[in-house]
Amino acid sequence: MSTLSRRSFLRHSALAGGGLLVAFTLPGCSTPPSLPVPRESGDFVPNAFLKFTADGAVHFYCPRDEMGQGVTTGLTTIVAEGLDMAPQRLTVELAGAHPDYANPGMGFQVTGGSTSVKEHFTQLMTVGCQMRALFLAAAAQDLGVAESALTTDDGMIVHGENRYPYAQFLSTAATLPVPETVDLKAAADYRWIGTAFPRLDGEVKATGKAVYGIDIDVPGMEHAVVVRPPVFGAKVVRYDDRAAKSVAGVRTVVEIATGVAVVAEHFWQAKKGAEALTVEWSASPLDGATTASLRADYAEALAAGGEEAESTGDVAAALAGATKTVDLEFWAPFLAHAPMEPMSAVVHVKGDSAELWAGTQGPGPAGALVARHAGLEPAQVMVHQTYLGGGFGRRGTLTHVVEATQISKATGTPIKLLWTREDDLRGGLYRPASLMRIRAGLDDDGRLAAWDAARAGSNITPETIRTSLPALLPGMPDGVVDFMVGLTDRLHQGWVVDHSSIEGLYEDYAVPNLAVHHATKEHGIPVTFWRSVGHSYTAFAKEVTMDALAEAAGQDPVAFRLAHLEHNPRLAAVVAKAQEAWNGWTPAPGRHLGFAAHHSFATSVAQVAEVSVEDGAIRVHRVFCAVDCGLAVNPDIVRAQMEGAIMYGLTAALHGRLDFEGGAVKQSNFHDYPILRINEAPTVEVVIMESQEAPTGVGEPGLPPIAPAVANALYRATGKRLTELPLSDALRLA
Amino acid sequence: MLRFTLNGQTVETDLAPDTPLLWAVRDQFMLKGSKFGCGAGLCGACTMHVDGVAQKTCVLPLAAVAGKAVTTIEGLDPEGVGAALQAAWVAESVSQCGYCQSGQIMAAAALLEANPNPTEAELETAMAGNICRCGCYPRIKNAIQSAAATLAQDALFTNAMAEEVSA
Repeated sequence: MSTLSRRSFLRHSALAGGGLLVAFTLPGCSTPPSLPVPRESGDFVPNAFLKFTADGAVHFYCPRDEMGQGVTTGLTTIVAEGLDMAPQRLTVELAGAHPDYANPGMGFQVTGGSTSVKEHFTQLMTVGCQMRALFLAAAAQDLGVAESALTTDDGMIVHGENRYPYAQFLSTAATLPVPETVDLKAAADYRWIGTAFPRLDGEVKATGKAVYGIDIDVPGMEHAVVVRPPVFGAKVVRYDDRAAKSVAGVRTVVEIATGVAVVAEHFWQAKKGAEALTVEWSASPLDGATTASLRADYAEALAAGGEEAESTGDVAAALAGATKTVDLEFWAPFLAHAPMEPMSAVVHVKGDSAELWAGTQGPGPAGALVARHAGLEPAQVMVHQTYLGGGFGRRGTLTHVVEATQISKATGTPIKLLWTREDDLRGGLYRPASLMRIRAGLDDDGRLAAWDAARAGSNITPETIRTSLPALLPGMPDGVVDFMVGLTDRLHQGWVVDHSSIEGLYEDYAVPNLAVHHATKEHGIPVTFWRSVGHSYTAFAKEVTMDALAEAAGQDPVAFRLAHLEHNPRLAAVVAKAQEAWNGWTPAPGRHLGFAAHHSFATSVAQVAEVSVEDGAIRVHRVFCAVDCGLAVNPDIVRAQMEGAIMYGLTAALHGRLDFEGGAVKQSNFHDYPILRINEAPTVEVVIMESQEAPTGVGEPGLPPIAPAVANALYRATGKRLTELPLSDALRLA
Repeated sequence: MLRFTLNGQTVETDLAPDTPLLWAVRDQFMLKGSKFGCGAGLCGACTMHVDGVAQKTCVLPLAAVAGKAVTTIEGLDPEGVGAALQAAWVAESVSQCGYCQSGQIMAAAALLEANPNPTEAELETAMAGNICRCGCYPRIKNAIQSAAATLAQDALFTNAMAEEVSA
């Protein structure tokens, strides 16, 4: 079932992996840009990733963006392992924009999709091993001995009793050719990979010294706050800035494509100015929309059937002939990412150049966007990457970078743009809401005979094309971008199913008769990748349905799943590992267990949640999590990502909802968009499966199972089969 | 002109007295360790100590700190509670994105100064005002408990030394 048929291959668009976009790539600018690696005489810069200096320092230019997932530690460990030098000895730098920093799996300089370790492992191991080989060759030449008489140990060339630092051979190494082929270090010889050690960015982040986009200050910089329409799709008709301009510190007011910007000496003055601004907005097709009206539209689309995405066997006949059936409808609301650092960027547009300082999930595309909106070539833009105060998919869309560029172009000054928390929650982009239905049937033997699944909602691909094409294809005229966006929109209305919309709804378990449909309904609400993307809602529908089916079959829910995983050994193994926890776990009085498993981003995860209901409030006490992510480069970071994904997923499972009222987003800050707090956090036990398989992603796969695991526990606790998120509201209304 | 003490230094500001302390510290005094998260006192990313008490400074007007002593993450004691917490934070790899961690550590430092051996419930109550979107909560708990244990050990050692000296 995991193999795609040719038809479904043609019918599923695959933007998430970049495949669709790669096909449209045009030649870039004629001269390759120089590496954004500052160097002084005596420095040896053999490639985009490493700089060796005469004093023995080794700088690693980390090609992926650090948003908390630990990538600066993980990728440093890989290159350091190849180099045979402790990762702690390397100085990690956040790389600027350059084609050499492209994500090998995407072709662009983008961090996302839980791809970083998976896609860079071989590349960076090769780079490290090449450099080690180069130093061995240089040392052999300088010492006048055979290379075979030398070895390495933690950054030193070893010759008998003598040890020489790599740095001693820099000048010779710089004259030698980098070996084109090199034997990669054998897994049995790993010294740091597979070992848990503290993150390399722990100290700067415990002392307040880590620099985020919001922390940048450059001479002459002014602060901007943008007033955006209350309803998506509305435009500025006219505005009155007299009151805003009378606020102390306000310098100017500028209309830009997305709204009206108030520019001031300090942020607080700009914010007060923005509050004093009066703007008249045009009408929008979304005017008057409510969550209920949007959901009614999805229900209508779902009832109409939608487009076929997958079909195997005869699902209608199998359902008609089933011994028992389950028919459930699921709702998952719109969600904001709400990273702790709201969107921020500093841009300075000068005459023939520009600079950008920001923490984004795409420094390359970000620089290209600045160039496009400043009227420059990408090579004229210097990008300074900072740490990201959380990403979760939100910092892949760079509207704030475009806004800052437009403002700076108008003022001529460096502009720091900061979105307020209200801007963040009300200004987009969101995890799309989803209405799903699964009808499933069991045969006489209690085996899954039919799985008929459908999802209605909006797709993230058109918005992704809209926001990323101008960044990825700097030379493409606006008219062509508009054409491509329109084409993608039309393709998704009846031709192609956006795979991100249905991923995870049907793939994991063996079923002989399968049908998957998708009904697209767009309202002009901007949506995008949100930690684990489609899996964030499909796993909820799939795993609650599996629990209901196990009950209908009179089987243990974990054993029922295992019986349908014979074709899927890695997911089966994590389910079996979690089964040990499940079988040996006697919940405390008043508490109940729930189980869920899900495969996403090439990683398999199974979770058990211990849950109680106290005075109507859901309390998740403890979570067990088994994960197979192949080789765990740093097991402690894998654990941290599982813990973090569970907490992020619990916020969504228990509390998360963004509602529309009168066309506008109702929630505005953390009082009505609550985030899980420390007193609600469960203890988490993570077991990482022993594996020498290639490493796979860990940023996202820990999230999908937690909502259904909690829902399945709540069924045991209350007898209520909750099928709507968030569960706290569903339980109150059940 | 409004005057207060910032990390031990007397400072003056002519910003409007309704300006939140956070923005004066970040934009005028250029200390960037304290963060903006919500602007409504709901997330704790902006936590500083005012006369030793943890305060959410995104909603604390400058007028309220006139003549008071303000401590930010940059001025957290390099010995004692602050150092123990920061060492525990590194050892436990608490931080993920790290953005909220200055506020978390300032809240934790105020807790341990007031209550060197908090129960789990006391810890949760003291830290419930600080959101971590990356979900580092289990590690924050571990780090605070580990720092408290280290400080208790140090105190035992110091007391024993003092007794030895006086004997």
